[in-house]
Amino acid sequence: MIKHLKILEFALSSLWRRKFKNLGLIVVFSLIIFTLSSIVFLTYSFKREAVAVLKDAPELIVQRLSAGRHEMMPVEYMKKIKDIPGVGKIVPRLWGYYYDISTGGNYTVMALREGLQDKISLMEGSFVVGSGSCVVGRGVADARFLDIGSIMPLIGADGNVRRFRVAGIFTDESNLLTNDLVIIGEKDFREVFRIPQSIATDIVVQIYNPTEVDNIARKIKEALPDTRPITRREILRTYDTLFDWRSGMVLTMFLGAILAFVILAWDKATGLSAEERHEIAILKAIGWETSDVMELKFWEGFIISSLSFLTGLIGGYLHIYFFGASIFSPALKGWSVIFPEFRLVPYINIYQIAVLLFFTVIPYMAATIVPSWKAAITDPDVVMRG
Amino acid sequence: MNRETVIRVEDVSKCINRGRPNEVWPVRGVSLEIERAQCVVLKGPSGSGKTSLLSLIGCMSRPTEGRILLHGRDVAKLPERFLTEIRRNTFGFIFQQFNLIPGITVKENVMLPLYPTEMGLTEIKTRAERLMKKLRIYERRHFHVKGLSGGEQQRVAIARALINDPEIILADEPTAHLDTRLSVELIEILKGLREEGKTLVIATHDPLVYEQGFVDRVVEMRDGRVI
Amino acid sequence: MILHPGIIALLVGSLIVLALLLYGSVLAVVILRRWDIKSSSEFQLGLERKTYLVSTIMSFVLGFEVLAIFLFIYTVDDLHRQFVGAMCATGSLNANPVGWYVLYVKMLLFFISSLWIGINYVDQRTEGFPLVRFKYGMLLLVAPLVLVDVYLQSRYFLGLTPDIITSCCGALFSKEGGGLSSSLSSLPVRPMRYIFFTVLGLYVLAGLISLKRQKGIFRGLTGIFSVIVFLISLASIISFVSLYFYEIPTHHCPFDILQGYYNYIGYPLYGALFSGTAFGLLTGFTEILKKLFPSLEKINRYQRKWTILSILFIVIFTLISLYPMLFSSFTLEGY
Repeated sequence: MIKHLKILEFALSSLWRRKFKNLGLIVVFSLIIFTLSSIVFLTYSFKREAVAVLKDAPELIVQRLSAGRHEMMPVEYMKKIKDIPGVGKIVPRLWGYYYDISTGGNYTVMALREGLQDKISLMEGSFVVGSGSCVVGRGVADARFLDIGSIMPLIGADGNVRRFRVAGIFTDESNLLTNDLVIIGEKDFREVFRIPQSIATDIVVQIYNPTEVDNIARKIKEALPDTRPITRREILRTYDTLFDWRSGMVLTMFLGAILAFVILAWDKATGLSAEERHEIAILKAIGWETSDVMELKFWEGFIISSLSFLTGLIGGYLHIYFFGASIFSPALKGWSVIFPEFRLVPYINIYQIAVLLFFTVIPYMAATIVPSWKAAITDPDVVMRG
Repeated sequence: MNRETVIRVEDVSKCINRGRPNEVWPVRGVSLEIERAQCVVLKGPSGSGKTSLLSLIGCMSRPTEGRILLHGRDVAKLPERFLTEIRRNTFGFIFQQFNLIPGITVKENVMLPLYPTEMGLTEIKTRAERLMKKLRIYERRHFHVKGLSGGEQQRVAIARALINDPEIILADEPTAHLDTRLSVELIEILKGLREEGKTLVIATHDPLVYEQGFVDRVVEMRDGRVI
Repeated sequence: MILHPGIIALLVGSLIVLALLLYGSVLAVVILRRWDIKSSSEFQLGLERKTYLVSTIMSFVLGFEVLAIFLFIYTVDDLHRQFVGAMCATGSLNANPVGWYVLYVKMLLFFISSLWIGINYVDQRTEGFPLVRFKYGMLLLVAPLVLVDVYLQSRYFLGLTPDIITSCCGALFSKEGGGLSSSLSSLPVRPMRYIFFTVLGLYVLAGLISLKRQKGIFRGLTGIFSVIVFLISLASIISFVSLYFYEIPTHHCPFDILQGYYNYIGYPLYGALFSGTAFGLLTGFTEILKKLFPSLEKINRYQRKWTILSILFIVIFTLISLYPMLFSSFTLEGY
């Protein structure tokens, strides 16, 4: 045991003596790990956000399709769904998109319905939405310079402007869900968009037993053939696939960079300077065995990779969670449906670290095995001759 | 006085680059016996094979033919691991070129041979300090090798050779890079070691060394053979 | 195929290991054919030097396999949301008929590599290196095993498509399902508990006796016993030990205890079990080798160390298993 510590100490001193030679290697290695870890952290964060956000999403949403497109649905459909055993509350939803000419932005307008209040938190103001008042998301408020009490105009389907007083603005934390949201009363909604009483946009279905979701979805499809039931699980799955695939693609592209780095590492390890060779010969001559020298080289490699790994990892962490992924986010945001500014929740676990290790440290250590060995088998005799 | 034979060299030859055009035999058919606490000098011009013979005796290389017995045990054919262990336990080597490691301190240089052993750092440090004091380099212990004089470097090399408390000291042309004053100093140290009961084998062509009183035997070599 | 970072990492890592092992195997063949300890020719010396390289490669392989098992479980667990019906790693493994075999092969690789490293360790410290031929013959078995591992792993991952419908541990490890896992889960708790602790206790006892009496037969017994301990422990974890960690009487999944939610307790638990078994196996195996290669007599002191380590790890394993049974308010009486 002590032996290993002593060799480790000598490895540290060796590296320090040749710090400039190794610095280049460490910088390159750290950069690679920085990039990879940024990607891994980012996608993992996105995944977790999606999962967390969707936790409160309805278990089952039923939409009506007409010629493959989403259409409004008659409220009557609810009756057929009610008959299916295992179904709890059925609530019709009213929502749609609104294009704001003056800002060029698309908002999601939603009618207030029972249960909606519990799901979203507020920052200022109140959620009470009587006729003529609304609650907007941060993105909308910023785009239109709105405050509590300001007026939010909406142009109705008949071309007339209706004014809504802003009663509340959603908090930043809920941005993912609420950034572009505008909530108004049901009556107001139907008036603005000219939607009759018997129509809803889609239906939210509560299911008592989560394991029955797929069964019930099937039965709904049988009872109402022109509908499409969407389960929360399916949405989660889609997100998962999307993120895994995206990050997987990027990492694969990175394999090229890693390969180049490994070749660099190999080259460095093989190209020992004359001074280094002489040093190893001296060690062999004064009583170090081949395995001791190999252990020395192992520790050197280990220290270099650990140092680079930590630097790159911490750099990636800071980059994503403190600097908002400023380098990568323009590229990454384009992928997903999440546009708004939101604070990524720092999340790091052993798994991510293990994946990063596999991509970086393991190929590096593998590349140094043979060069270390070649250096270590130096004949001590060499030192005797001149 | 019947002394124990520590080293017996039996008809040993060494060949380099066997079978190739530059084949050479630095040592040919050498037989030799060295007893405990003896001081044996291998004398001869450069190229006579004394350095190679020293290297063979010290388990730093293997003979192509013949046997080398250490305390009666054939060490010539042992695999590296065992050879190194024996070398570590038995021999202390003083090289012609000092061969100290430039970037580290005197103290570290002295302690280095014992690093890959199970000995604790404290004990190694104690030994090193004792040796450095004895060889009067203790004040320089935190210096790097580059800042030392030739004589001081020599003494560091000796301290390093003694850190493992060897019973046999092998020295290869120890006075080659020293002036007379320093050579005399060195010879005093070697004499002291012999008086402690250590066995010395010195390869040299410096008369200052082989004409000393404490040298028990002079073995003359030429062209790889003993004459 | 699912392009998941963990999958890519595993495949890349496995290919690297395979490349190293193939290189090592080539060396092994040369060594097997031309090794002659008595010769001191340049060639023999070269071979001796090469043995250092092979040892290092094998250590690397072992280190990799340990990490790979955990990465594999983690990846498989992370994938579970993409399979309908899967709630954890078990579901993902079920998505493809090859899944469980990958796990078994990886476990086998772990034990064989650790055996090799142990044997190599003693061989290098014995004069004459008696085990060289044996070692390198064994190595030629490891390489194909890694090949099988890579193959199965690739087949498994490549064969995964997101719309597979699979069953999760709830179904697999439930009393109603069929198959081995269900039988394990439905083993009655009381007798299982007795068997578990009895086997562990006997093992520790056997180990202690072998230390005291220093008779070969006990060491051999330790080896065989360690395998039994391993299998019974795995069965017990599924059958009832995991339940105490989850505090749910029907949650038999052996993988979830590796999650952060349960404080990663699975790591020390499995780590101790695997290590304890590996050392026990090593002791028993080398005992057999001693009969075949008498010059190995001196390795007794290493076997002592291994036995002590094995006992230590198994005790740790037992304590970890016991902890929730003693200290949590959850109880299985009545189930």
